[in-house]
Amino acid sequence: MTAVLALTERVVRSGYRDQDIAFAVLAPILTFVGFTVALRSVIDTGEMSYPQYVLPAVVVQAMLFGALNTTDRAATEHSSAFGARLRTLPISTYAPLLARILYCLLRGVLALVAAIGVAHFFGFRMDGGFGYGLAFAAMSLTLTLALSLGAEATGARAKRVDTSSQLLLIPQLFLVLLSTGMAPVDSFPGWLQPFVQYQPISQITETLRGFASGHVSGPNLAVSLAWCLGLLVALGALAVRTQQRSDEH
Amino acid sequence: MIEVDGISKSFGPMPALRDVSFSVPTGSVCGLLGHNGAGKTTVVKILSTLLVPTAGRAQVAGFDVVEQPAHVRASIGVTGQDAALDPTMTGRENLVLFARLRGMGRRQARLRAAELIAHFDLEYAADRQVSTYSGGMRRRIDIAVSLVVPPKVLFLDEPTTGLDPRSRRDVWALVAALAAQDVTVLLTTQYLEEADVLSDSIVILDAGRVIATGTSEDLKRRMGFSYCQVTPLHPEDLSRVVALVGDYAEVEVDTDGNTVSVPAPHGAATLSEVLRRLDESGVELIDISLRKPSLDEVFLHLTGPTLTV
Repeated sequence: MTAVLALTERVVRSGYRDQDIAFAVLAPILTFVGFTVALRSVIDTGEMSYPQYVLPAVVVQAMLFGALNTTDRAATEHSSAFGARLRTLPISTYAPLLARILYCLLRGVLALVAAIGVAHFFGFRMDGGFGYGLAFAAMSLTLTLALSLGAEATGARAKRVDTSSQLLLIPQLFLVLLSTGMAPVDSFPGWLQPFVQYQPISQITETLRGFASGHVSGPNLAVSLAWCLGLLVALGALAVRTQQRSDEH
Repeated sequence: MIEVDGISKSFGPMPALRDVSFSVPTGSVCGLLGHNGAGKTTVVKILSTLLVPTAGRAQVAGFDVVEQPAHVRASIGVTGQDAALDPTMTGRENLVLFARLRGMGRRQARLRAAELIAHFDLEYAADRQVSTYSGGMRRRIDIAVSLVVPPKVLFLDEPTTGLDPRSRRDVWALVAALAAQDVTVLLTTQYLEEADVLSDSIVILDAGRVIATGTSEDLKRRMGFSYCQVTPLHPEDLSRVVALVGDYAEVEVDTDGNTVSVPAPHGAATLSEVLRRLDESGVELIDISLRKPSLDEVFLHLTGPTLTV
């Protein structure tokens, strides 16, 4: 446990030094302001205000950024002599992984607070009350956890620092833009609507929007939970296996 | 104590180590000598539990490296070829981090770091980022990190590669001091001289095989370590030189290079004796020098002329 704590402190310090923590706070603020200013009079979200509509997409986007950062850190560490030295110490094989995951969660909390803070200023409200607010945070952080575990596995396998996260930047951008997180499904061309409607980011942002307003549809909640928990289990298993494998070769 | 018993390691179809065996008694320094790619680092990785051998067994500080890796890890310090430090942190922060990873509390870790910084004369640099360090400073902090908890067995993988001569001597002094404290040290090197100066025993590795083991004295005797090389001014004097040193064993004549090589088991004493004889008979010289064989020459000597290409 001391080891996890010491390593987490190291990641936090390095996140502070390489400005990642600043980025974690600023990214959701800037994307939220950018989306809201540019799109609120263009996209018709019915009765709901655009800030209220788009916030979940901003949060999910921030969580994806956090995961990309974890990919870089994992890749750097797995290819460095520093990482090799950690494996010669009498500490758990999983301590470095846990430290990066904890950092990613901390980063997620900061991003969440920043996003909700700025959105509040633009009129976003957690109308559902405290319980729903908690559910909103829990689902966002579960998603972060799942994504950062996937990022761990990717980074550890890629071992190429500069390319691994850039490779992932494209699909994540693609998924966020082609989701109902930014605009309702009818604003997409008909042939794209089935994909947009059912892809995970749409489902999850819809649930988060539901948590914020206090009305969640049962089937949508089930789908989102299945995605979050399914990704958590699958990516978690992958990360653990990758870590074990890097122990042996 | 290190016991290596018939270790082999293959990466896919490529054998990296073949049936490597040697042992290092407690408190002694063993030099693992070989070229790049001879398998030195692979041996260190196996002994420090980073790699699992394909075959064979090895014990470090009394623990099996495959069966009891946690015990091995608690007994060793490892300094690799590349500085295994976080370059974005200061030297002190690196030391504190590794002290805490070895289970010390914050305050204890800080005290230990300060102790090591003083011991390694790094006060002036301790609070600068490691990325600003020179190679020698980085290596010293790196070695200090592997000593946060005094290890029973210390692995130094090419500890002086890339260092300037002064830093190299600093590292040598450090290793000598550690050996005096009953730490068992396995160091790898490409430099014969380094293995000679630092090691109680030497293991020579070539293409994944052990081709010689022994004390540095043993190997010197077997290889005629240094030799005295004479270059007469007039090539026709070569035969006179040979006649004058005829009583030495294994004198070699190189007519192309216009040199005579005389094995010099007594070093400078042999040189001055040869010089005296040549001087007395009035042979004029361009050059006379004492030379140590290069690692290549040692290998050639050990692997025999069949391997010369």
